[in-house]
Amino acid sequence: MLSQDENLWYKDAIIYQLHVRTFCDSNADGIGDFRGLTSKLDYLQELGINAIWLLPFYPSPLRDDGYDIADYTSVHPSYGSLQDFKDFLTAAHNRRIRVITEMVVNHTSDQHPWFQEARSSRENPKRDWYVWSDTDTRYQGVRIIFIDTEMSNWAWDPISKSYYWHRFFNHQPDLNYDNPAVREAMWEVMKFWLDIGVDGFRLDAVPYLIERDGTSCENLPETHEIIRDLRKRIDLAYPGKMLLAEANQWPADVISYFGNGDEFHMAFHFPLMPRMFMAVKLEDRKPIIEILEQTPQIPETCQWCIFLRNHDELTLEMVTNVERDYMYDEYAVDKAMRINLGIRRRLAPMMENDRRRVELLTGLLLSMPGTPIIYYGDEIGMGDNIYLGDRNGVRTPMQWNGGWNAGFSAADPERLYSPLISNAIYGYQAINVDSQRRSAHSLLSWTKSVIQTRNAFRVFSRGSIEFLNPSNHRVLAYVRKLGDEKVLIVNNLSSSAQAVELNLQMYKRHIPIEMFGRNLFPRIGDLPYLLTLGPYQFYWFRLRRI
Amino acid sequence: MAEESFLADDFLRQLMSVGEVDLLVGIPSYNNASTLGQTLQSVEESLLQNFVRERAAILNVDGGSTDETLQVFEQSAEQRGASHKGLTSLRTIHRISCQYDKSPSQGWALRNIVAAADLLRARACAVISPATANVTPLWVANLLRPVHREGLDFVAPLYVRSRFQGLLARDLLYPMTRAVFGQRIRELYADEWGFSGRLASQCLEKDVWHEEPVRVRPQAWMAITAIGGGLKCGQYFLGPKGAAPAGTGPDIVEAIRQTVGNFFWCMETNQAYWLSRSNSQPVSTFGPDHELSSDGIPPSPEKIFELFRTGVTELEPILASILAPDTHAQIKAIALSDRTKFHFAMELWVKTLYEFAASYHHTVLNRDHLVQALVPLYRGKLYSFLLEHANSSGEEMEAQSEILCQEFERQKPYLVERWTAKS
Repeated sequence: MLSQDENLWYKDAIIYQLHVRTFCDSNADGIGDFRGLTSKLDYLQELGINAIWLLPFYPSPLRDDGYDIADYTSVHPSYGSLQDFKDFLTAAHNRRIRVITEMVVNHTSDQHPWFQEARSSRENPKRDWYVWSDTDTRYQGVRIIFIDTEMSNWAWDPISKSYYWHRFFNHQPDLNYDNPAVREAMWEVMKFWLDIGVDGFRLDAVPYLIERDGTSCENLPETHEIIRDLRKRIDLAYPGKMLLAEANQWPADVISYFGNGDEFHMAFHFPLMPRMFMAVKLEDRKPIIEILEQTPQIPETCQWCIFLRNHDELTLEMVTNVERDYMYDEYAVDKAMRINLGIRRRLAPMMENDRRRVELLTGLLLSMPGTPIIYYGDEIGMGDNIYLGDRNGVRTPMQWNGGWNAGFSAADPERLYSPLISNAIYGYQAINVDSQRRSAHSLLSWTKSVIQTRNAFRVFSRGSIEFLNPSNHRVLAYVRKLGDEKVLIVNNLSSSAQAVELNLQMYKRHIPIEMFGRNLFPRIGDLPYLLTLGPYQFYWFRLRRI
Repeated sequence: MAEESFLADDFLRQLMSVGEVDLLVGIPSYNNASTLGQTLQSVEESLLQNFVRERAAILNVDGGSTDETLQVFEQSAEQRGASHKGLTSLRTIHRISCQYDKSPSQGWALRNIVAAADLLRARACAVISPATANVTPLWVANLLRPVHREGLDFVAPLYVRSRFQGLLARDLLYPMTRAVFGQRIRELYADEWGFSGRLASQCLEKDVWHEEPVRVRPQAWMAITAIGGGLKCGQYFLGPKGAAPAGTGPDIVEAIRQTVGNFFWCMETNQAYWLSRSNSQPVSTFGPDHELSSDGIPPSPEKIFELFRTGVTELEPILASILAPDTHAQIKAIALSDRTKFHFAMELWVKTLYEFAASYHHTVLNRDHLVQALVPLYRGKLYSFLLEHANSSGEEMEAQSEILCQEFERQKPYLVERWTAKS
């Protein structure tokens, strides 16, 4: 039995996000698998992360990278067996790494037996497990999410001669959560994995569970009822397990998914992510401050999940049109870099391989309130391939070394599920784990060190934040506080050296201790505290009163 | 001994915090508490609507206001964003302020603005007066845009004025500037204008800031510096110019001292540029098609003629030292004419002004007295204008202005001759 504090493990987590397919191939079939992933757990432990978020690994026709699930309770044969997964889970737990799996609750693949039954006839008992209509005009005005590919949220089913509702691709019919049988079936699925030992679920596309006429069909009260019921069951039967919401909404809307601490434990802070990129490009802290000021308080036991990049496009849904245009112009000038309402690029290429900016953004990610998520490969500065279609360009094989297939697989290169990144700048010969392990000054070594520092101070994961407002808007400065523990973070968002005067009167007589080099800085006195920072430089200071 | 820096430490600290900007809008103020808030709102809205990606700063330079101007600036900075109809900028719009410890002057204010522009490496700047009643967000954008996007270095406003507004500019300043400096910039003494960071840097380097003409009316000097430096000038049609509240503008004597005196000084300091030039060129003009004159009620000509006649008599010895005998004689003759048939001929007017300019150059008497001696003659010209154009349409008046401009250009060799003559 975990203690009350241990139940909040997700607050102290640093999550590493990966797709098993991309990480390591143990059987030379060109596709990553659980045995391969297990063999790399030492690397992840060494990196310092303490949770892994696995993208869908279930049987699936893979028309949406596994988010089109055809069987919720087994493992896609390409990735191994259920036993392989269990072995991986045990090995991860042995290294004190928790495992969060993806649970696509809103929809299934059209290949799922549930849907196959439902479409077989209008009288089939599973018919009502999905949302059907004789017309495609119901729920008019509801936005289409995949605007590049879908014309409607309804798709025609020629078998049962009616329309089915889908918020994502037309091969992903939405489940009907008004049907209690669906809710029970999904709970059975979750129990299956919780019994095996997974530590939490990332619930995909939560806002869309319920449809109602005359609404946006998003964030409806009935959806929250479903979540509350689910949470109650988990707390009762599986205390210490965690639910993470994927709700790409404004903070004021997402906040409802925390309920009164009785819905999700965590939710992604989607609007913060593009604003971190924007702030660095604009060289102005305004976007970050503005969005965090608009972010409401959340219940004590809840936590935001923050991230820079993930397996999807860098979504620009939660920005204004002006901001979106700016992001496109600055980060996706080539149209091939754009998809849907977002940018399909990785962190390092977006930062033009500028180590200083990659570090600055990673420093921001690890020092702001919330549980950070690191996308696989970003710790070594992997590149992308915008010509691979969909979002596959950011889902290429992990680059372990400069040898055969980047050390990812022993298969013939032609068999790999995806081509490797092989260009002169980001190619695996230049960017790989082995070579960066050998240098104390590599991005990988730096990332390890910054994670280690974050892990050593709970103030980062649980502390409050108080923004300082120096007149120099190129500098983003804040103090994180937890009890007596105080940390001062000062970031230069600009490409030029900056001087900044900080009002630290509240911390008079404290001694700032730089946290990476552990050097003492002058004691805080009566005058504004003057710091100078090089381009994109940042400081983390521990404030100690001795 | 080196001159003390005129930049206050606190101002410098603010500039350091701002860093580099694309746009700088300077607002000189002196006891403008009642209008500054509205001006600030227009400027900020303009930046939000038109320059959402640009790095921008709004600078208030105050000449020691004794009302609540400073508080208005501070308060509006705190309240900003609240009243901008959902508009938002990507970046922080910086608001900075400084007070100079000299008596209020447009020149001191401009010096701080160009210093800020130089240090902030601003690409485009505008000066906006809080005394102008109807500054709109579009005005601000229209003064900045040609500099920021078209690469101009100086942008003068172009206003539609009532037929009888701005007569000093119509009859004297515009045609003379055009003839002397060769560029057809209509409003050289406006309270709003745009300029480039490059021009700001050039002006900052000039050692003229203590000269009275620059202290009092620096805008024409800045334009002429741009022209003399071969920089690109233009003008933007802004629409009707709001009249300053009655009693707030300078009287005619002061207006002539400030503008004509300033202009003669600019001629003096830029003679190397203009002496060898002839003809004039149009400058880039932006904005919608426009009429420059609208309807208006002529001012009462009563007293104007009497003041002219008295002035010609009383200042006879002074005018004799300034004007050529023939010119002086002609003026004395028209001063004796029947007021109902009075006519101040164009040729005579141009010749008179050129002789004044040359006498200013040769310092035939105290320059300030010399400029003031022009006042009664201007009144004569004004009276003549009012008689001739009481019923003219705006179009007819514009046509007449053009003829006057051409006369100034035609007689320019006479100006050069007088100017270069050994005194």
